Amino acid sequence: MKRMHYVVILVVFGLACWGVPALAGEKVAEVKLGSVMSLSGGAANQGTQTKTGAIIAADEINAKGGIPALGGAKIRLIFGDSQSKPDVGASETERIIQREGVPLMFGAYQSAVTTVTTEVAERYKTPWLVTGSVADIITQRGFKYTFRPNNKAVYDANEQLQAIKVLTQETGKGPKSIGILAEGTDWGKSHAANLRKIAKEMNYEIVFDEAYSPGTMDFSAQILKIKSRKPEALVIAMYTPDHIVFTKQIYEGRLDVPYGIHSVGAGSEDPNFYKAVPQPAIEYMFVQEDFQIDITELVDWTKPVDRKFTEMLGYPLTSYGAQGYSAIYTIYDVLQRAGSLDKEKIREAFAATNITSGPALIMGWQKIAFDKDGQNVDAHGVISQNFKGKRTTIWPVANRPKGIKPVWPIPSWKDR
Amino acid sequence: MDLIILGVAVVNGIVLGGLYGAIAIGLSLIFGVMRVINFAHGSFLMIGLFIPYWFWQLFKINPYVSILVAAPALFALGYGVQAILIAPLYKRERAMVLEPISALMLTAGVGLIMDNLTFMAFGPDFRGVTIEFASKAFWIGEFLNINYTRFLAFLASLGLTVLLSLFLVRTDLGRAIRSTAQNRDAAALCGINVMRIYNVTFGMGCAVLGVVGCVMIPFYPVSPSIGLAFGVRSFITVVLGGIGSIPGCILGGLVLGVVESVAAQFVTATSASIFSFVIFILVLFFRPTGLLGMKV
Repeated sequence: MKRMHYVVILVVFGLACWGVPALAGEKVAEVKLGSVMSLSGGAANQGTQTKTGAIIAADEINAKGGIPALGGAKIRLIFGDSQSKPDVGASETERIIQREGVPLMFGAYQSAVTTVTTEVAERYKTPWLVTGSVADIITQRGFKYTFRPNNKAVYDANEQLQAIKVLTQETGKGPKSIGILAEGTDWGKSHAANLRKIAKEMNYEIVFDEAYSPGTMDFSAQILKIKSRKPEALVIAMYTPDHIVFTKQIYEGRLDVPYGIHSVGAGSEDPNFYKAVPQPAIEYMFVQEDFQIDITELVDWTKPVDRKFTEMLGYPLTSYGAQGYSAIYTIYDVLQRAGSLDKEKIREAFAATNITSGPALIMGWQKIAFDKDGQNVDAHGVISQNFKGKRTTIWPVANRPKGIKPVWPIPSWKDR
Repeated sequence: MDLIILGVAVVNGIVLGGLYGAIAIGLSLIFGVMRVINFAHGSFLMIGLFIPYWFWQLFKINPYVSILVAAPALFALGYGVQAILIAPLYKRERAMVLEPISALMLTAGVGLIMDNLTFMAFGPDFRGVTIEFASKAFWIGEFLNINYTRFLAFLASLGLTVLLSLFLVRTDLGRAIRSTAQNRDAAALCGINVMRIYNVTFGMGCAVLGVVGCVMIPFYPVSPSIGLAFGVRSFITVVLGGIGSIPGCILGGLVLGVVESVAAQFVTATSASIFSFVIFILVLFFRPTGLLGMKV
C-alpha cells in the first residue's frame, strides 16, 4: 500500500504542475517567447539579424502596452544559441521549453537545425514558428506544432525560373539553355535538384550542372567550363564567402551570360557581400530575395523599422531581420486570438491564422495562413535586379515599382 | 577535352597551387623543427588576413604595403605564443620528449581562443578588400586570364620559398634551426639555445602567414572562422611534399592545385577533391616521407 501512496502523490504533483500554466493563463505580467538562433558559428550573421528584427518588434509591442488579450502582458524574448549546430539547437530547445516554461518558440534559420528543433518542440507539444528555414521536409512530416510562414525550397527554384519565363514573355526574347552552379551541401544540392525538375517541365536545356565544395578559393575551373558550354542563363546557389570569390572572378574573367546570372538568396542577400565586391561586377545580377528588398522605400510604416535596424547593426534591414520582425507580429496576432498561454489554445490559434494586413507582412507577402501541414501557401519571395548597386524588385510584376524596366538581355562586358 | 582548356586549367592550377604551398610553409617549418603540429595554423592565417583588411578599411593602405606591419606582427604573435604558452610544456617534460601531445592540444586551444576573440571583436561578417587593381587580369588568348593579384600571390609564394630556403642554408641562425631540427640534444651541446630557436621558428612560421594574408586579401574574403577551411588542405600539402621540406611544400601545393583544377574539368568540383586524396594516399604508400622528404 505504501507504494500506492507514492503513485498518488506523483499523480497529484503531476496534475498540479500541469495546471500551473493554465491557471496562471489569462492575467500575466509577461509572456516569455523562446527562440533558438544561430548566434555563433558559421550562420551567426543571419541568426543575429533575425534576433535583432525580433527585438525591434517586441520593443514596439511593449511600448504600446503589451498584448491586450493577455491583460497587457509584456513580451520577454529568451534566446538560445544553436552555435549553428543541430545537436546544440536541440538541447537548447529542450532547455528553454523545460526550464523557462515558454508557451511557444520560433527560429532557427538553418534548415538542418530547425528540422531537429521542431522535432523536440513537437514532442513537448510546443508550437514552433519557423523563421528562415526552407528545407521542404520541415513541413512535410505531418507535424501538428510546426508552422512556417516563409518559402519552401521548391518555391525558390520555381520563382527563379518563373521570373525568367515572365521576362521572356514580356520581351519575346529569352534563354533556351540554362546552367546551374550550386554549393555542395544540403541546401545547394536540394536547390539544384528542384531547379533540374522544374527546368525540365519548362523545357529549358541544362548545359552546365555542377556542385562545388564550400570555402573554395578558386572558381576558374568552373568559369572555364561555363565559357565552353555557354549556358544562356546561369542559376547559382552560394553562401557569402564563395559568392564573393566567384563574383570577383567572373568580373575579372569577363564572363558573359546573355540572360543574366540568377542568384538564389543567401550570399547575395548578405549586406557584407555587397561591401566586399566591386559594384560593376554585380550590375544587372538577379537575386531571388526572401523579402521585398525595396519595401523600405515603397511602404512608409517600414521606414522606422529600417532606421532602428540600421542603428543596431550598421546596415539596412535585411530579409533575416524582417523575418524576425514578422515572426513576433505573427505571434502577437496568434496570442491575441488565443487569449491564453495554454499551448493547445495557441496551437489552434496558429492553425486558424489569417493575416492579410499589418506589420507581420513586412516580408512583402499578401497573406499568412497555414495549410494542414503548417505551411503558408501564400508565401513568396521576389526577384530583384541590380541597377548601379541598388536592388529593385522586378518580379512578381505586382510587386514591381512603377516605371521600372528590367534590363533583358544583359549587355555583354565589352558593351558596358 | 579541348587541349586549350586543359592548358588553361593547368596554368590556373599552378597559380593556385603555389599559394596552397605558401600557406603550408609555416606548418611544415614548425613541425619539421619542433615536432609540434600547430593546430592554430588556420587562425594565424585569419589574423594575417584581418591585419591588411583593417589597414585598408581604416586608413586605405594598400594590402601589399601592409606586409611591412603584418609580417612582424605575426612574428611577434607566434614568438609570444611559443615563448609564453608552449615553452613551459617543454621545460616541464624533463626528458624533452620529441612529440609532446600536450603541445598539440595547446595549439588547438590557442586557435579556438583566437577565433573566438576575433569573433567577439569583429562579429561573424565576411569582409573583403575591393581595390581596383584586383579586378584586372592578363589575357592570353580568348580563354586564359590570370588575375594580377592571384599572379602576385603566386610570385610571392615562390619568393617566400626561395628566401626561406636560402635563409635556412646560408645564415647562422638558419643553420642553428636546422641542427635543432636534426638533433635537439646535440644542438644544445654545441651551445645553441634550443628554446630561443623554437621561439624564432614558431615566429617565422607565423610571419609567413602575415605575408600570405596580405597577398591573399585582395581576392579572398576573411571572417573569424575562415582558418578552418585551410587546416586540412595545409596538412595534406605538408605531408605530400615531405614534412619539414620548404621546397616540398610548394611542390605539394602545386600538385594539389593542378590535380584539383584539371580534375574539375572532367568531374564536378566536389568529386575533384577525391583525386587529391587519392594522390595523397598513393604518395604515402610509395614514398612515405613525401615527395621531397628525407628520412629522419
